[in-house]
Formats: sequence, C-alpha cells, structure tokens
Amino acid sequence: MSERLWSTLRSVAPPVVAIAVGLFVGALLMLSFGFDPVRGYVALFRGSYGSPEAWMESLAFSTPLMVTAITFAVGMSAGLFNICAEGHMYMGAAGAIAVGGMVSLPPGLHLVAATAAAMLVGGLWALPAALLKMWRGVHEVVSTIMFNWIAFWFVLYLIRFHITDPGRAERATPAMITARYPVLGGSLTGVIFVVIAFCVAIYFLLWHTGLGYELRLAGDNPDAARYAGVSFRRVILLTFLIGGLAAGLAGGSQILGRPPSWTVYATLGNLLNLGFQGIGVALIGRNHPIGAIFAAVFFGGLAHGGRFMEYEVGVSAEMVGAINGIIVIALALPEILRIVKRVRAVKE
Amino acid sequence: MVNPLRKLLFRGSSRENGQRPTKLEKGEVLLRAEGIVKEFPGVWTHLILDHVTFDVRAGEIHALLGENGAGKTVMANILSGFYMPSSGQIHVRGRQVSINSPKDALRLGIGMAHQETTLVRPLTVAENIALGISEFDLSYPLSKVERRVRELSQRYGLEVDPRARVEDLSAGEQQRVEILKTLYYEPYVLILDEPTSVLAPQEAEQLFSILRSMAADGRGIVYITHKLEEVMELSDRVSVLRLGKLVATKQTSQTTKEELVRMMIGDVAITPTKRGRAKKGEVALELRDLHVLGAEGSPAVDGVSIQVRGGEILGIAGVAGNGQRELVEAITGMRGVEAGRILIFGEDMTGRSPRAFADQGVSHIPEERRRIGTAEGMSLAENLMMRDYRLPPFSKRGVLDRSLISQHAQRMVSEFGIMAPDLWDTEARILSGGNIQRLILARELWREPRLIIAAHPTYGLDLKAVQHTHELFSRLRGKGSAILLVSEDLEEIFAMSDRIAVMFRGKIVDVKGARETNPDEIGLMMAGSQI
Repeated sequence: MSERLWSTLRSVAPPVVAIAVGLFVGALLMLSFGFDPVRGYVALFRGSYGSPEAWMESLAFSTPLMVTAITFAVGMSAGLFNICAEGHMYMGAAGAIAVGGMVSLPPGLHLVAATAAAMLVGGLWALPAALLKMWRGVHEVVSTIMFNWIAFWFVLYLIRFHITDPGRAERATPAMITARYPVLGGSLTGVIFVVIAFCVAIYFLLWHTGLGYELRLAGDNPDAARYAGVSFRRVILLTFLIGGLAAGLAGGSQILGRPPSWTVYATLGNLLNLGFQGIGVALIGRNHPIGAIFAAVFFGGLAHGGRFMEYEVGVSAEMVGAINGIIVIALALPEILRIVKRVRAVKE
Repeated sequence: MVNPLRKLLFRGSSRENGQRPTKLEKGEVLLRAEGIVKEFPGVWTHLILDHVTFDVRAGEIHALLGENGAGKTVMANILSGFYMPSSGQIHVRGRQVSINSPKDALRLGIGMAHQETTLVRPLTVAENIALGISEFDLSYPLSKVERRVRELSQRYGLEVDPRARVEDLSAGEQQRVEILKTLYYEPYVLILDEPTSVLAPQEAEQLFSILRSMAADGRGIVYITHKLEEVMELSDRVSVLRLGKLVATKQTSQTTKEELVRMMIGDVAITPTKRGRAKKGEVALELRDLHVLGAEGSPAVDGVSIQVRGGEILGIAGVAGNGQRELVEAITGMRGVEAGRILIFGEDMTGRSPRAFADQGVSHIPEERRRIGTAEGMSLAENLMMRDYRLPPFSKRGVLDRSLISQHAQRMVSEFGIMAPDLWDTEARILSGGNIQRLILARELWREPRLIIAAHPTYGLDLKAVQHTHELFSRLRGKGSAILLVSEDLEEIFAMSDRIAVMFRGKIVDVKGARETNPDEIGLMMAGSQI
C-alpha cells in the first residue's frame, strides 16, 4: 500500500511543481508591472477559497471544466489528440435548451431528459469526426477543429432563429423551472454531483473494464494493441463517444445548472473557451479522470478569484490567463528535458 | 555588403561546398578503429562490441558481415559519431581523433547512409540535402545545391532529379538521395548500413556499380550486410563479426561463402536432447504455397508450403532477412497474405485478424519484444493480461477482476522468474530485456497453447533463462503442442527441432529430419548453395 502511495505522490508531484512555477512567474510579472504580488495572491485565493460562498462560486466555475477535461484526457489515454470538446459543448448546450427550455415534461423527468439530451447531442456530434478517422484516416486535430467551428456557427444560428427567447432576442430560451438543477448556494447547483459521478464512472471504465484496458493499450502502444487483437475502430469510436458525452454534459451543465441566466447568450459568451480550457485542466490532472476533478477545482478557483484580484489590488484578471499558460508550459518542460536527456543518454 | 546574420551562421568551417583538396592514394589507411569496446550497461550484460579492430583503405569496399545482433550497426554508429565507444581508439588518416557527433564525423570525412532513410518526404531532393548543411542560411542559394547535386549525380551515375519531391521517388531513388546527402560533404569514407534491404534486385545492381565507381575514385566504402552474395559480389575485403567479436578479416577473393557462414554462426555443438518420442498429433499448422509481401512491396515469402503437427517442433533456420519475419507475421495475422492459404487445425485462417488467430489457439512470441510484445507504459500485471483481459475468470461481463489478476500475475512472476519491483505500479519500460522476454513467455505459454509461433525466443537471454525456455518448449511439445521455432541460432535449432526447414530468399530450400542432417549441411543451405 505504501508503494501505491509513493507512486501516487510521484504522479502528483509534477503538476504541483508546475503550479508553483506558474504562481512564481506570475508574481514576477505582477512585480514588473508595479503591483504587490503578495497582496494580489491574497486577494486571489481569498476570493476563490476564502469563505464557503467563495468555494461555491469556484466550484460552479470548475463544474464544466471537469467534464471538458475528461474529453481530452480520455483521448490522450487512447493516443488521440482530441480537441473537440469546444464544439461538443456548444451542441450539448443547444440540446439542453431544446429539451429543457422548449418541451414541457413533469418535474424530475424533465431534468433527466434535458441532461440526457445534452449528452446525446454531444455524443452524436462526435460521430462524424470518429467515422472520418475510422474509415478515411483523417487526423482528429484537423477534423475536430473544423467541427468546432461548424458547431459554433450552427448553435449561433439556432439561437438567432430557432431557440430564441421570445422575450429577449439576445439569448436562447432559458431552461424551465422543471429542468433546473437545485441551487446549492450562489451559482453552484446539484449538477456538480452528476459531473463528479460521470468522472468517477469514466475512471472505472478506464481502469477496471476490458474496454478501458483496450483503450489504454491502444494509447500506449498501437502495435502491441494490434498484437493483442484490439480493434482500433472500436477504440476510436468509444473514445470519441465518451468525449462527446462528456463535453455535451459540460454544455448542458451551463444551461440546466448555472444561475442566474440558465441559458446561453447569442455571443456564446458564457460558454466560450470552456472546452479549450479543459485541455489545460486535463494536463494538470495528468489525464486522469479523478485528477481532472482536482485540477478543475484549481482552475475554477483561479477563474473566480481573478476577479477579486482585479477589484481589490488592480491586477487585471487576465493575469490569471497568463498564470494558466505558464503552468501548462512548466508542466511540459520536464517532458522536453526528458527528451533532451534521452538523446544524450543514447550518445553515451 | 556582408550580411551579419550570414556571417554568424557561417562560423567555423570554410568549406562552403565541402570540397577536399587532397587526392587520395590507393591503399592508404583512411580510417582505423582499434580495440573498440561498447557496452550498454543495464540493458545487456555482455559487451556489444568486444575489442574490435577494423580499418578501411582508400579504393576498397570493405564488407562488415554478421548476423543480427552481431554488432555491425553499433560499429557503424560509432564510426559515424552517433554512439561513443566505451573504450578504444579511432584514427583518421593516421591521426587519432575523437568523434563526438555525426557532425564531427562528417568534418573528418566519414559519412554514413542509414538503413532507413532520414528524408523529409514533402521536400525536394535539393531541399533535403540543404537541410543537413550547417552553413545553410536563408540566403544560401538552393540553385547552388542543385548544381552540385547534378555534378555529383553525373560523376557517379547516381541519377536523381534535384527538384523531384522525395515522396515521388522509389525506394531505390530515395536510397540514392541518402547517399548523395552524404557525398555532398565529399567524405573519404562512406558507410552504408544494409542498403539493399529495401531495394529491388536491379536497383541493387545499380547501387553496386555506383559504389564501385566511388571506390575507383579513391574513397573507402564500408558495406554492412548479412547477405553473403553481396559480400562475394561486391567487396574487396570482408570482416566477420559474431556476438560483438571480430572473427576474422579476409580478402574476399581468398574465402568462400561456406567459410563465411561458418564464421558467422560459429562452431555448433550439437547436444542431443534426451527426450521421449512425442506422439505425433494432428496437423496444427499447414501452409499452402504462401506468398507474403515485405515492407516495400517486394515478395518476402515466396511460395512456402509446410506442415507442423502436434507434438512436433519445426525449426526454421536461415540468415536473417530471408523472409522469416514476414512468415511469422503472416501466420499470426499481423501481416496480410498475397496468395496461398494458412490452415490452422484445419480451419482456413487466411486473411483473418490477430485476434482470430489467438482465439484459434495460436501463441505468438514476437521477434520485436518491446515494439509489439509489450506496452512499456503499462504495468507488469497489465502486460501479462494482453491475451486474457477479455476472458473469464479475469473478466466478468467486461469488468476486470483486479484481485484475481494480481494472484495470476504473482503466480507468473514466481513460475517464470520475472524480476519486477511490483505488479501494478511500475511501468514495464524499466524491465531488462531478459525480464521482458520472461514476461512474454509467461503470457504466451501459461495456457499451454496448441500452436506456438516463436521468433528468436532466447535471443539475448542468459544461459539459465535459455535452458529454462528450452525445457518449457520440450515439456509443451511432450504435452502435444505444435511449435514453429524461428531462430538464427543453429545450436538452438539443432537442440530443439524434430525437423529443420531452411529458408533462403523467401523459399524453403529443404526440410530435413534433425537427426539426418548436420550443421554443415544446413549452413550450406543457409548460404544458398544448392546441394
């Protein structure tokens, strides 16, 4: 058991160091702009984790990131660079509005149906990219970037013409009361439990089932997977499908579980980039479904606390974006150093 | 006006075009490696190169001959600066040098054309060559490179259009570009690592005449190969390596293929194994006129028909590269079949997937253990599960039973003597070569499969592990398993096989009862001599 503990610690160490580096370089940046980094960070972390209310807001921010991170993490486990979460998330949000905002169903059932619709639409949106990869070998980075844009404009079109709020043309119809997750406090709703349960389910799938084993084997060594009789088409389909369901849930969570608007604006402003941020979250969480939960809480805290930093100390909230970027770079550094070392080792 | 950037990029060498002023005297020793030792501590226990001394003279083609793993490529990599020797000296034209990088080697006049080409496919020939030029900067005119490529092509008859895209070229043309890339630096010594492995016969012929004209020009050529015909046809001298040791260096005209084979494979001591006559079972594997294509689309297995019965070990002897690998891949479902049929226990398996073969009871001990035999980023227990993860009792309705898998893995570790720190937490990457092989043997053999396809199962193992593996094979044979054993180790072939088939250029030369033949006869067949 202690060996297990050590190996967990070993895998947690790099992101922790990377976060420290990110915060340190962030402090240098603040200094160079003439701000006091100590005051900045105190404001940031008091704002994000300083009180129960702060925690609730931070968790609300982190909820969609947990599942968009799953999309990327599962892709990486299978050796696919799946960056489709953004588009799936838009589609999932549209699905949630279609069922949650425009169909009347009994309470309870309505919530379940709307959540399922968000996930299903997200999952279906994964099929074209998956089929292109399976049958024509189209690289997933190329296809998913294109499908992200298609989703963006398609959902924009839907909001403008088909799922518009009759009272307010700048946004889509909000989810009905019967399709809203109960508010736990602030912007945090019960949808976070669904999201965490989903992450745990994916963990179980990856590490305790034959399907998950095939997926990880294909990711680790495609040649060995072929030797073991794994069907790549199945792995690709499964990976994209999980990614679609996860990101669809992320989109749905912003409609059915995010007061006060319970809907999406015609700029997609309240959804924008949640999918891409998931990539960073997944990297910090070491592409592990449980790691993604913790990494998302950290990122969500930064996103929420950044506003306090700007308000109280005057450091612009975009600094958080810079810190995020530095953390991801710091996380990539050891891998780069490893490659350099390996090249040297081969020579000697 | 002098462009400062250009000046900066031009530091060091003044040989803009790499022209060498001196004319080489025929017979001058250009490169001499003395007492070269190379070890890979932690990976292999024995020395990869054991005090090897080797030289190349102006105007000669010096073949470096040996089986896979004899150390040929390592030697070439040391001479061309990719590896550093553990000890030993290298002299270039009488002066002792230390070669720290391929760049150093090129500066000293040693160029190497690799076995697998290192070209950027969407770029043109000239662009590829320009990539390697250290003086290259944005203002370096590509037309200059093109002109020089044309000049070199003409001088040696290496026909290549410098403006052609590499992806449009045939394997032979790509090979020529690889050589041109090196020739651009006007090396004294050109090293070629198995250049014909991807070439069609006519292309190989062309390459030989190019190499002869380069030798006539006063260069020294080191030609690495395991093909005897090429040695006899092309080289002036030949050095034979076996297990990292230099066996001998001979004038090619004063040796024969048969002598070279003996030097390559060494003295074979036949140890008659005391074992019961196993009852011959039903036909486990039957190949009918099997044709399989190699990596470059050339025929690798060319009409093989054999049978292996239960309770029998059929050894496939042959010098590496005569189609054994493609044969093994085809009869385990890893490679497509061009023509012919594969029958396993009477069922037609031609064109089926690797999983279908596994389900039919075929075990596969692959030649490339790390590349296809293991998932190095996964744990020992997970690597042991590659065949069984979807079968009960390890998997129930798709859910893995981790505790049962642990128990099983623990049993495998003790039965097969796998040395590993733990079952679930350490990546298989850190296991030594021997332990990787024990892992694969455990995984493939514990179910006592009906048909075992084993490629070089004991290569690189220590003596005890070799013995253990042989005992295991004998026991399985006794229990009625059919075993196809591909090995370059004649001692192993003779010790284990009931019958021996010799493979040469994709064909089975002959199949002999192990008691009715001897290593000399098999060696001659391996060399392609008709008897």
